[in-house]
Amino acid sequence: MGLLNVFFPEAWVFIAMVGTFLLTVFLLRQPVAVSLLAGAVVGAAIAGAGFPLRHFVEGTFVYLDTILIISCAMLFMRGIQASGLLETVAHHLVRTFRNWPTVLLAVMTVFAMSAGMVTGSSTAAVLTTGAIAAQVFASMGLGKARVGALIAMAGLLGMIAPPVNIPVMIIGGGVDMPYEGFNLPLLLLTVPTAILASLWIGWRGIRRVGAESQLPPSVHGAYGWRLYLPLLLFVGLVVAERSFPTAFPSLGLPIAFLAAYLIAPLCGRRFNPLKTARQAVHDALPILGILAGVGMFIQIMTLTGARGMIVEAFAGLPRSLFYGSIAVSMPLFGAVSAFGSASILGVPFLLNLLGSGVIVTASALSLFASLGDLVPPTALAGLFAAQVVGEKNYVRVLARCAIPALFVIAVAVASLMGAPTLERLLFRSAAPSRGLFLGGVALGLAGAVLGLEWAKRRRGSREGA
Amino acid sequence: MAIRAARSWISGIVFLGGVAVVVSVSAVAFRDMHRDRPIYPGPGVTRVGMLSAYLGDLAGTGLDTEVYYLEGQTPGATVLVLGGTHPNEPAAFLAAVLLVENAVVERGRLIVVPRANRSGFTCTDPGEGHPQVYEIPTPGGPREFTFGSRATNPVHQWPDPVVYVNRLGQQLTGSEVRNLNRSYPGSPTGYPTEQLGHAITELIRAESPALSIDLHEASPEYPVINAIVAHPRALGLAVEAAMLLELDGMNISVEVSPVGLRGLSHREWGDNTDTLALLLETSNPAQGRLRGRTDAALVLTGQDKFYVRAGERNALYVRFTDRGWPLEERVGRHLQALVSLVEVYSAQHRQTPLVMQGVPQLRELRRDGLGAVLQPPR
Repeated sequence: MGLLNVFFPEAWVFIAMVGTFLLTVFLLRQPVAVSLLAGAVVGAAIAGAGFPLRHFVEGTFVYLDTILIISCAMLFMRGIQASGLLETVAHHLVRTFRNWPTVLLAVMTVFAMSAGMVTGSSTAAVLTTGAIAAQVFASMGLGKARVGALIAMAGLLGMIAPPVNIPVMIIGGGVDMPYEGFNLPLLLLTVPTAILASLWIGWRGIRRVGAESQLPPSVHGAYGWRLYLPLLLFVGLVVAERSFPTAFPSLGLPIAFLAAYLIAPLCGRRFNPLKTARQAVHDALPILGILAGVGMFIQIMTLTGARGMIVEAFAGLPRSLFYGSIAVSMPLFGAVSAFGSASILGVPFLLNLLGSGVIVTASALSLFASLGDLVPPTALAGLFAAQVVGEKNYVRVLARCAIPALFVIAVAVASLMGAPTLERLLFRSAAPSRGLFLGGVALGLAGAVLGLEWAKRRRGSREGA
Repeated sequence: MAIRAARSWISGIVFLGGVAVVVSVSAVAFRDMHRDRPIYPGPGVTRVGMLSAYLGDLAGTGLDTEVYYLEGQTPGATVLVLGGTHPNEPAAFLAAVLLVENAVVERGRLIVVPRANRSGFTCTDPGEGHPQVYEIPTPGGPREFTFGSRATNPVHQWPDPVVYVNRLGQQLTGSEVRNLNRSYPGSPTGYPTEQLGHAITELIRAESPALSIDLHEASPEYPVINAIVAHPRALGLAVEAAMLLELDGMNISVEVSPVGLRGLSHREWGDNTDTLALLLETSNPAQGRLRGRTDAALVLTGQDKFYVRAGERNALYVRFTDRGWPLEERVGRHLQALVSLVEVYSAQHRQTPLVMQGVPQLRELRRDGLGAVLQPPR
């Protein structure tokens, strides 16, 4: 069957959808969400599906859960910002590590990742622990774009880090592979990568925090331990649900965020919860609209066959181009959603790679999918990181993420290619060899951080002299 | 200032009016999915009950569903058949419907649950672009059926947790909490889908079927396809039935239920009850990731050019040609495999066999189509 016969007319539909979207955004200067709707309407019409109102409406529900999580996470973040909790936590952290800026950079990166590790959501990570880490990074002298890039990268790698990695669960679900044995490879793929990415983005710009006045302000003295209750409540609800799934009711992330938000005005600086909520929703509205529009766009792509055309085009590339096609297509499709990329492309790719270290392969595929959170128009991690740091142009944040993202791709490609070896080393080698390998990685990482710390001090003392 | 405020009010009202119109118009289509398309009990049906008979809490909920009993004149083996565990797998549902509408049991008892997850028949999966209904022509006019979702309708169970840890400790992505075939053996007090799983397990405990067969479909790129998945206790039976089918010209493989994959019917029914648990799979391109245009024609014909291309590059686990995998072929495979399993069991248990007539077979369905064996609409 000739290529033209296979990929057309679906390719025309896709070109028309993307073309309409771009024209509406750039020429007619309409919001991204409206432009996505326009692309979907044109695509359906060109494919002969008319005006399928039911499909447009159904498409807006694709990301309903994500929309709710984002709305409530924004409330939570604005709430703990208004109560003074964000600045206070940052104050204590900076004070503790003020003489070790490189170590602080590495520690805060892992801290920023932690919410993503527990919730499996980069948005939740950026808007919670990321927001706290942002205060610390800012007080170390980093500019908005760099701080945004740091928490965006930490958020998306936190989403992939264990114990909760939703893309791997989705990919595994597609091939009946239980979510077991992933902790070690995921930890290995994410934590060193995140720390090295942070060092790349932030190390040159960080400085020791000298005077007390340079520290973020603390309101701990005024409110005491009560101040931390919203954060503790949120962590408690999430951890309880994860630890006791049969005994503790499943509230879901939105309710956990809301509950924490509701007690925030009673725990720190007073603020009007209604006014703050209105502001938070106002801030989140553009991205919520984009998610609804993307859902609609995807629904029409699937209806018209454009989605299948893209999947087959990438999955059907010759073996020599296969890893390249994964490295390009999964992050690009992740622009729609990292989870969507895992489901639509991750499953066929894993099926193609079955038998070659399947656990490490699935972990590496999830790493590719996560990068979708940096790809416009959604670019969830970049967008929210920009909001957290007050950077109006989120492209500046994304630009700072470009090299670290390429590094993530390199790590993922290397893991894919070396999956059988890595899996043998992690699961089937003798304990001493495994210990030697893992110890070597840990020591190398610690050596890199401490070496850079030493270099920073030397440079600082030279500049001081 | 006042003019700007008035304009903003007017645009707000116009926007809300537009939303109201869109919601009202589209709601008609979504509401219509909640109407059960009729199944016409055939001459073999002796009793129709509800699943809530096995778990009272299901009564009156969107998850309660019909149970059809086809009882013979003399005692014999009981066989349970589940269709519609995943309502986006239409061959599994229609095979069960054809049993209800055509089979006559002479000895033993057949219990059929065609819409195992009835809630899933009331919605489609957002983002998948599936048709809400498809029609099959019969001599008496077209029969309409809903094409549903893989999972329970969120209207009946929502929100999903971030991670679903099922009763046996298996960690799954949150949306699997609404997947009936991850919920077994279920729980009387758990999520509604777990309650549904519990009710089905209770049905098996109460009625003691010798065989319990869960009908499914899978995408052509899925490794377990055109297969019988058997609990270890049912493996010998499955192998013998597969050999008979191969002799009859129907290729089918046998897979053992994996120990590490918990919550699935073929594993948990077998581990938690005395039944011989089996699951049947056919190839359904309408649920695959490589599929092209997604409409009722794809559901019925199973023809798709992207799958043909994927087949040419050996990326599939079934042979995929321009002929595709038509619905009647897939339904026929299920029924043929079911009959074969029953025959092997009956031959091994001559004192307590299941003897039934009237089950449409693969050749008949290939020749005459589904419309010839579905009852005409009334």
